[in-house]
Amino acid sequence: MRTYFENKNVDFTCKHCGRIVPAQTAESGVVNRNHCPTCLHSRHVDLFTPGDWLCACKAIMVPVGLTLKRCRDKYAAECQGELMLIHRCMNCGALSINRIAADDDTSQILNVFKVGSKWNTQLEIIYQQMRIIPLDKSDIHLVETQLYGRTSCCR
Amino acid sequence: MQTQTTDAKIIGVVYKKTLGHYDVHHGDKITPCALSSKLWKDFKPSKDSGKTHEHRQNVTEKHMDPVAIGDRVRFTLAGDGSGMIWNVLPRRNYLARASAKPMPGAHAFEQIIAANLDQVIPVFAAADPEPKWHLLDRYLVTAEYYNLPSLIIITKTDLVRGSRSEKELSTAVQRYRTIGYPVILTSALENKVIFATREALAGRTSVLMGKSGVGKSTLLNALEPGLGVRVQAVNQTTGKGRHTTTHLEMFQLASGGGLIGTPGVREFGLWEVSPKDIAYCYPEMQPYIGQCKFGMSCQHNDEPGCAIRQVVMDGKISPYRYQSYLRLKADL
Repeated sequence: MRTYFENKNVDFTCKHCGRIVPAQTAESGVVNRNHCPTCLHSRHVDLFTPGDWLCACKAIMVPVGLTLKRCRDKYAAECQGELMLIHRCMNCGALSINRIAADDDTSQILNVFKVGSKWNTQLEIIYQQMRIIPLDKSDIHLVETQLYGRTSCCR
Repeated sequence: MQTQTTDAKIIGVVYKKTLGHYDVHHGDKITPCALSSKLWKDFKPSKDSGKTHEHRQNVTEKHMDPVAIGDRVRFTLAGDGSGMIWNVLPRRNYLARASAKPMPGAHAFEQIIAANLDQVIPVFAAADPEPKWHLLDRYLVTAEYYNLPSLIIITKTDLVRGSRSEKELSTAVQRYRTIGYPVILTSALENKVIFATREALAGRTSVLMGKSGVGKSTLLNALEPGLGVRVQAVNQTTGKGRHTTTHLEMFQLASGGGLIGTPGVREFGLWEVSPKDIAYCYPEMQPYIGQCKFGMSCQHNDEPGCAIRQVVMDGKISPYRYQSYLRLKADL
């Protein structure tokens, strides 16, 4: 049943760094571009489903850490899920987990991982409530493998 | 053939209009009438010297109509049983929309759907064609703008019974009931609901509005058996209505009052409503207007300290309605 949904996957200007972000799927590799590829900041606009634009908060969302998406393949190792960004709203504190786009700055992602692995107690409680397992320092090899590939990591 | 006219002007109500022809009710009689040239002359807006503006006026005049359904008019009788409308008496209220543009690049103009109304009835189908809630909000905003109460009717509820759409429908219905809009869920097969609808219409002049194929004419036939209004099934390939009703007509109800059947509308543009007015046309937003950090200047979009955004986040206003508000404002 159709509701108020309309396609809003259009180019936008990052509220944090001010860069113009192209939203074409061919460029980003994702259907709903939801964060800036340079600074990785996002905006709190989705409420129920990705791309619904139903949230009235609209504040900036800061990348606070990385996690792994649960793998669809039940025979695969636990660590083989897709690498995901955890965003936290600066206004209401809501968390959302978003796919990393093809053109996201990998050094920035690593930086988020390093800063994010020192999360505070408050954030830890929210992670537990939402059943999110963030990656910590011990997962550095896994993150590098996901970002740069297996061969580049072994060098 | 020369016809004789009487000087005595009679007052009647316009019940039906097709291109250039108006059926006027007075007492128990129905008189087919035409418009007097005087009425047209009075109706014409003054011409501007600008060429573009002149062209715009010509197009506008060709499509505009000084008489609307429900109008009380003063007319004279001709000897052959026909009549001539001379004046339109002052309207108690009316319902208007921005017309569909008559040609590419043309300007929209005011199209008065009906006048002297007691309520507006937006009609939507539960399925075939599927409901567009944003269009419903457009109807409701228009009704609020003209200070007319609304009664929402959802037809064809039998088509979604037991399906996933039924739950979605009930959520949407609950959303409007929470705001205070009465909603009637019906299907032409259910007599009990038809009785309830009849009660809601008794003694009032109401106008049915909705897309083609939602069941406006079927509802009319169910409410007043014997009307014999022409109906057709929706197109099975496109899932859209076939635009069976092509003219506006008011029908007298046995329980008193009148019900105006309209042709299905593809788009419904707001007329006269400015972006600033829209928040006032959302009843649930009214108590919070002016309470924002930037007071009456707040656009309720990105501004910090916006009271309306805050109540949406608190769950007092539906996020769907808030998004519809933003979209409507952007469309103007």
